[in-house]
Amino acid sequence: MNVDELFEGIRKRDLRSVSRSISIFEDDLQSSKADELMKRIYPITGRAHIIGITGPPGVGKSTLMGRLSKRMKETGKDPALVAIDASSPFSRGSFLGNRIRMQDSLRENGIFMRSLSNRGFKGGLSLSALGAVKVLDASGFDPIIIETVGSGQSDLDIISIADTTAVILAPGLGDEIQAIKAGIMEIGDIFVVNKIDREGAFLAMKDIQDTLSLGKSGNWIKPVIGTNSLTGEGLDELINEIDQHKKFLGNGSGRDTRPTSELYLLLENRIRKLIESYVSDDESTADIVSLVRSRKIDPYEASEAIIRKSFGHVGKN
Amino acid sequence: MSGGEYLADGKNQSLFKDKPIKILLAKPGIDGHDRGMFVLARAFRDAGMDVLYAGLLPTPEDVVDTAVNEDVDVIALSLLNGAHLTVFKKVMDLINKRKIDDIAVVGGGTIPDQDKPKLEKMGITGNYGPGTPLKVIIDHITERATEARSRKNRN
Repeated sequence: MNVDELFEGIRKRDLRSVSRSISIFEDDLQSSKADELMKRIYPITGRAHIIGITGPPGVGKSTLMGRLSKRMKETGKDPALVAIDASSPFSRGSFLGNRIRMQDSLRENGIFMRSLSNRGFKGGLSLSALGAVKVLDASGFDPIIIETVGSGQSDLDIISIADTTAVILAPGLGDEIQAIKAGIMEIGDIFVVNKIDREGAFLAMKDIQDTLSLGKSGNWIKPVIGTNSLTGEGLDELINEIDQHKKFLGNGSGRDTRPTSELYLLLENRIRKLIESYVSDDESTADIVSLVRSRKIDPYEASEAIIRKSFGHVGKN
Repeated sequence: MSGGEYLADGKNQSLFKDKPIKILLAKPGIDGHDRGMFVLARAFRDAGMDVLYAGLLPTPEDVVDTAVNEDVDVIALSLLNGAHLTVFKKVMDLINKRKIDDIAVVGGGTIPDQDKPKLEKMGITGNYGPGTPLKVIIDHITERATEARSRKNRN
C-alpha cells in the first residue's frame, strides 16, 4: 500500500491500513515512508485524549486496561489500545503477552489493540508508540490508551506522549512503594491500587495518599482509586477521574506542552541512534575498545577519544 | 533439544535485524493443550521473533482479526484434537475472503500424514508433528515469513 492509500485507509478506519501504518512507524528501514506518512496525518491529529498506563510488573495493568476499555466502549467512548512489551536483550525477540490478559474484553467488544516490542528501549515506551498513537488519533479513536513495559522506577517517558498518566499499583508492594516515590510517584495524574480485594489494600491506598499529600501538585488533586479487574469495581470511578483530568487540562495549559515534549522525545532518540551509527561502524573505534580491554587506556580517556574522533569537527566546548 | 545456532546463548541474533518476524500462535477450536505452544513461543522469542499468542479457545474470526490488527507475518496454527481440516480451513477461508495475501499460514499438531497434502493445498505448510526439532520449524517459518514480508513490501 502506498502513502496515499494508507492515508485514505486511516481516515476511513480500514483496520488493515491502520495496522500497516503502525508497522511502518515500527520499521526504521522505511523511514522515508514513515516521514511522508507522518506529514500527511499530523495535521489531523490532536483530537484524541491520550491515556498512559504505567506501573510495576504484575500489578494487573493489562487486565485492567482490557476491562477499562470495555467499560469505556459500553459508555459510548471509542477506545483503541497500544501495549508495549519488553524485548529480549539477547535475541531482540519478544513475547507480546499483554494481549492474552485482555483478549476476552477485546473480542467481545471489537476493540482495536496493538502490541509493540520495545526493541531494547530503556524508557519502556518504544519510540514506535509515538507513531502508533498518531495513526490511531488520525483514524478518530478517542481515547487512546497506552500501556508501558512494567518497569517501575524509570518508566517515565510516558508523560511525553500522554495527556493523563495513570500509575497502577497493588497491595503488598510495601517498601517498594517507598522506593518508587521519586520516579513513578511524580508522573502519575491518577493513582490506582488494583487487586483491591487483597489484604493490605486499604493501607496501600493510605500510603499513597500520604506520599502524595507531601508534594505539591498544582491545582490538580491526584486521586487514589481502588479497583478490582475481576469484578469491575472502581472502573467507573477511574473513568470519571480520567474525564475530570481531561476537563482540567482543557482549562489549563497542560495539554499545550505535549507537542514540545513529543518533539524532545523524538529528537533524543533519533540523536542517540545517530550517535550509535556514527560511533559503532568504525574501525578506529574498535582499536580504542581493544586498548581499553588490554588496560592500556582507561574508559574515561577512551570515551573522550571516541567523542573527539567522531565529533571533533562539530565543535568543542 | 536441537535448536541449532538460533538458540545458543548470546548467539541468537535476529535474522530480521531491524524488524523481527512477527508471529501469531493460535489454537482455534476446542483444544486446551497449550504446553507445546509455550515451548514454541519461547523458542521463537529466542530466535529473535516478536511472538503473540491468541490465548485459549479463539474463534477463527478472532485469529484473523488479531493477525490483521497486529500486522503479523505468520500465523502458526496448532490443533491436537483432530479438527484441523475443519478449523484450519475456516481460518484460510476468512483470509481468502479478506483478500489477505501477505500473511503466511503454517500448521502443526497431531496431523495424520494423509491430511498433510490437503492442508498444503489450502496454503497451510509445515504441519509438523510431535518430536520435530525446533530448528526445522524455525527454518520453515523464517522461509515463509520472508515470502510474506516481500509481499508486504511490494504492496
